[in-house]
Amino acid sequence: MMRRSVILPCLMMKSLGPYESKSFSISVYDGRMDSVSRRAFLKSNVAVAAATTLPRARVSAAAQGPDRPPPPAPQTTITLAVNGERLTVEVEERWTLVELLRDHLQLTGTKVGCDRGECGACTVHLDGIPVYSCSQLAVWANGCEVTTVEGLADGDQLDPLQQAFIDGDGPQCGFCTSGQLMSAKAVVMANPNPTEDEVRQGMTGNICRCSNYNRYVAAVMARPPGRASRLDPLDTVGMSYPRVDARERVTGQAHYTGDVTVPEMLYARVLRSPHPHARITRVDTTRAREMPGVHVVLTREQCDITWSSGDTHNPRYLFNNPVRFVGDPVAAVAAIDRHTAEEAIETIDVDYELLDFVLDQEEALSSGAIAIQPGGNLSPRRDGERLPEIYQRGDLDIGFAASDVVVEETYVSKHHNNAQMEPRSALAQWAGNELTLWSPTQGISNTRRDMARDLDLLPEQVRVICQYMGGGFGNKNQSQDSDLIAAVLAREAGRPVKLELTRKEDFLGVHGRWPTTQHYKIGASRDGTLQAVQLRGYSGMGPHRKSSGRIAGIELFRCPNVRREVSPVYTNMSVAANFRGPAHPQGVWGIESVMDQLAHELAIDPLDFHLHNLTREYNDETPYTSWALRECITEGAERFDWSTRWRQPSGRTDRVTRGVGMAIGMFPAGLGRSSAVLRLEQGRLWLHIGVTDIGTATKTAMTQLAAEAMGMDFADVTVVWGDTDRCPYSVGESGSRTTTHTGHAIVEAAKDLKRQIASLNGSVGDQPLIAQATPEPTIEGVARYASAAHFVEIEVDTELGRINVGQYLAMHESGRIINPLTAESQIKGGVTMGIGMALHEELIYDRATGVPVNPGYYGAKVMTHLDAPEIEVHFIEPIDTFGPYSAKNVGEPAVIPVVAAIGNAFFNATGRRIKELPMTRTRVVEALA
Amino acid sequence: MRRLTNINPVSLVESVERLDADGPRAAVIGGGSDLLGMLKDDLTPAEVLVNLKGLRERGSLDLVETEAGGIRVGGLVTLTQLSTHPLVAAQYRVLAEAAGSAATPQIRNVGTVAGNICQRPWCWYFRQHFPCYKHGGNRCFSRVGENEFNAIFGGGPSYIVHPSDTAPALMALGASFRIVGPGSERVVPASDFFTLPRVDVSRENILEPNEVLADIHVPSASGLRSTYAKLLDRAAWTHAVISVALALEMDGDVVRRVGVVLGGVAPIPWRPDAVEELLTGQRVTAALAAEAGRLAVDGARPLSKNGYKVTLTENLVRNTLQSLASEV
Repeated sequence: MMRRSVILPCLMMKSLGPYESKSFSISVYDGRMDSVSRRAFLKSNVAVAAATTLPRARVSAAAQGPDRPPPPAPQTTITLAVNGERLTVEVEERWTLVELLRDHLQLTGTKVGCDRGECGACTVHLDGIPVYSCSQLAVWANGCEVTTVEGLADGDQLDPLQQAFIDGDGPQCGFCTSGQLMSAKAVVMANPNPTEDEVRQGMTGNICRCSNYNRYVAAVMARPPGRASRLDPLDTVGMSYPRVDARERVTGQAHYTGDVTVPEMLYARVLRSPHPHARITRVDTTRAREMPGVHVVLTREQCDITWSSGDTHNPRYLFNNPVRFVGDPVAAVAAIDRHTAEEAIETIDVDYELLDFVLDQEEALSSGAIAIQPGGNLSPRRDGERLPEIYQRGDLDIGFAASDVVVEETYVSKHHNNAQMEPRSALAQWAGNELTLWSPTQGISNTRRDMARDLDLLPEQVRVICQYMGGGFGNKNQSQDSDLIAAVLAREAGRPVKLELTRKEDFLGVHGRWPTTQHYKIGASRDGTLQAVQLRGYSGMGPHRKSSGRIAGIELFRCPNVRREVSPVYTNMSVAANFRGPAHPQGVWGIESVMDQLAHELAIDPLDFHLHNLTREYNDETPYTSWALRECITEGAERFDWSTRWRQPSGRTDRVTRGVGMAIGMFPAGLGRSSAVLRLEQGRLWLHIGVTDIGTATKTAMTQLAAEAMGMDFADVTVVWGDTDRCPYSVGESGSRTTTHTGHAIVEAAKDLKRQIASLNGSVGDQPLIAQATPEPTIEGVARYASAAHFVEIEVDTELGRINVGQYLAMHESGRIINPLTAESQIKGGVTMGIGMALHEELIYDRATGVPVNPGYYGAKVMTHLDAPEIEVHFIEPIDTFGPYSAKNVGEPAVIPVVAAIGNAFFNATGRRIKELPMTRTRVVEALA
Repeated sequence: MRRLTNINPVSLVESVERLDADGPRAAVIGGGSDLLGMLKDDLTPAEVLVNLKGLRERGSLDLVETEAGGIRVGGLVTLTQLSTHPLVAAQYRVLAEAAGSAATPQIRNVGTVAGNICQRPWCWYFRQHFPCYKHGGNRCFSRVGENEFNAIFGGGPSYIVHPSDTAPALMALGASFRIVGPGSERVVPASDFFTLPRVDVSRENILEPNEVLADIHVPSASGLRSTYAKLLDRAAWTHAVISVALALEMDGDVVRRVGVVLGGVAPIPWRPDAVEELLTGQRVTAALAAEAGRLAVDGARPLSKNGYKVTLTENLVRNTLQSLASEV
């Protein structure tokens, strides 16, 4: 891909004067700083005068620590070779190796995902063997040879593994990729022709939360990807292109927020509540403020700014009192370096008056439960009424009267964390009253809007940059409190501030999937026809309402008498909000389990039961733009050979017993308004879109759409993304909808551009041609959904309490697939993530103290290479009358049916059901007891 | 991370003298992975790191060597070395398998066998810095809390489980540990190395703060067959839910000598003596294996959420015994 690197004037300047142009610019910024100026900065220790005229509304300045260096920590001089270059460096003895590499040698290709040796993003070779560089001190590397991802390529010549990762679509978000590469390299160094098991064993210390394990392993095995879609490609659409930014992602040159450094930057840390619910009676920051090197200390006393997107119903301050969950921010510090910031945080004394707390969503509504928010724990509806969200049709009494078989069961799903590889981070830099924010966000425009609103600025005064981001799965949709905290600290300090959350903070302070309690009562007549479906559900939102709290799933079935009553409830657990297919995996697990049970009690094959009771193209109310759920089920069943493999559960207790399960899912293809600007200049098409690529290959798919729409070669299109000053508005990368909203804008802008070309009679000349479009896609009277049917065989070790996932087949309908290679990766990853939710992921709370006990990759047990089975993916591609080139949505549907399919397979294998997630050894043993 | 001083002693003698001089401020470093995590989480008071990575006699402390009556495993031998060492893999399979089952390749590449044996508990209450016995407090939060992974044997007042994989293997093989302190040296059987909380709740073994586990003697395994069976909650990078280290000397289908040690069930590697007594001199039949499984959990006292470990332990002991005994 051709890209121009243009260094922003504001970054090269030594002083922090306001940069002049805020107009829409068409150069490309690649997130890189001039390394010379960065090195120069590291050596100079000169404080630059603070920018003036900073708005200070609602923030009163805290006494600032003296601007003098902190007392030196023990240091020593070491000599080591890094990527073949011999270096002698003075290091603090407490520096980790990764700290030396990233902060002081500017080798930012090595990432920090957990800083605890639990994820592998920081893997480097030390004297030729892979180690976690977060878990080694720099001094221990004295005399050693260190190889990082930057040392893999030989000049422009990529290592064969790097090329294999590009061709085989290894990186999704790419944050784990450097570490995956270093482990893979060690595997092939030891054995150039490893077995698949050796590859998985050798790479199993490297977590990929996008869960692209199949792709990584296949790439190392040099196994070329197949083709999951079946429509003949158009000129560009429907072709499998490697990601446009794959080279950056495999060479460590993709710069994520934490990799960006600006002159005079301070480091921030946040003090968080250790209690689930407490009133703060005193905060003493005296010692912190007096510490050398500490610039700003903020608490609620100095800062009553609210974080508007953190709670849509109640005010949520940056620093809350009372604190309502373990991890609620209490204070923040900006200091000369990360260690001083941390030391300062530890000196802050806080007195808490402990309050009662409640963790369980149903218990929180009991009469004795303490009110977590004013007005009680039932979060109000949009109309302000404190009532459950209710959907109703028909009459349940009639439905149950007509039912010969009734199933009444309760399912409980848990809070589990998005656990994206890149922890939340932010870098805020003010110039006058204009803010530049580097943030890993799923929506630069949303974040700009939110930041402007919360800081009393105009959106034009805020610039948000997100060149690369290491996943989010829904928890980076809007601005985050970390963005605001960094911005406020930077404003107070008069210097840029970088805030990087620890992995534990990210687990506690960001959010995960909302836990649910689902009480079902459903009935059918003897002929297998559903007569009544009732759900009374409770969703634990934590103490703030950030998202809907819906429980999806009942819409999958046709039934005349339905009542769904769902209560989003405040609790003192961590805030829960969007996580891949937000309301769906847990809800579909519940409804598909009871449906499976009902089919069993009716002695009907669940496949037949589904086909008989499936929601129809006319989903009671509205037709779909395209709909192939039935085909997903029938074709998937055929490919899986369901009819010969499915047997009524025998209830056998053989040592190892097998079972098959199926489940379905649908996910709305969201809409939204976004813009695209196309600029044709000297034969090259520049595509400006306000998207960020969260790992879904958005930039690649959009490049394909633009090339297709313009009739140009893929290679002649350059995408410009992820910077509100260089890109037009986008509604954001959430709801699996970017291909629709931005794709529409691209297609519309291309029409205009082609008209312009036509009006010039083909002689375009040197003059750039620019076209833009901001269509507002609306659909009235129709619905758009992607569909999926999943089929799985599992093996249950009844003696050792273990579920092993065997064959997994995911049949999907997502309209036309723009890029089969990357779309298949999405499905494989989503399914693998779902298996983790089914089998072992949970944020566990100590009930007596309200403190989570396992916040981190080790404790939360996200999937590893050795856990991930091969996922077989097929796409049905109907013509969708709405989407650009018939495209629909891909990212979220993948995770939806997984837990349900595994749960049903467990029933098929054992005749028992596990009604509380996750299905750990404990629960397997209990279910079989 | 707090301010640290890294010391690179040249000899083991100097190392233990540094440990002696700095008292609780000092900690010994083998691989360092776990200790760095504990330092970052403020779980240890250490400020002075006595780094053994550069010892002059490293040459002997990071080697596996044959010696009279068995092998000597240096304390600084990494888990990767141990798991891939041809002699260990061939004759002491339980040890190679145990070492290879720990954590991840990156950790095994630096993690030492001494460090694996001496690592602190992974009970999440300890790791999340609850003020429990192990942190000088006066209660064990797991006793009535989230105790799915805690002890079913030997608990009280603390209910941690010992996290080491190599320790049960070494105990099953009848290993002994050479401990070096300032001006002192002692050799203790692995079975006597570990400390139950009812003896001293603040520690997991008998090492004094100024002592180092220098190396390990493993007696000849001639005629022994052995294996390590470990159950995990996910397929990698968790400590054992439970594990069984089993070493058998068979005469035909009759057991002549046996070592059985359980991991993940007690605050120390747990030897069910009754199982060893039952098996010695007996022909391994399905009925005997089942009886061994039952005896292995005799006296288990599960907590509120870990009764499943009793079931798993009984089944794993039985199955492992049957399959190892029937190996040709």
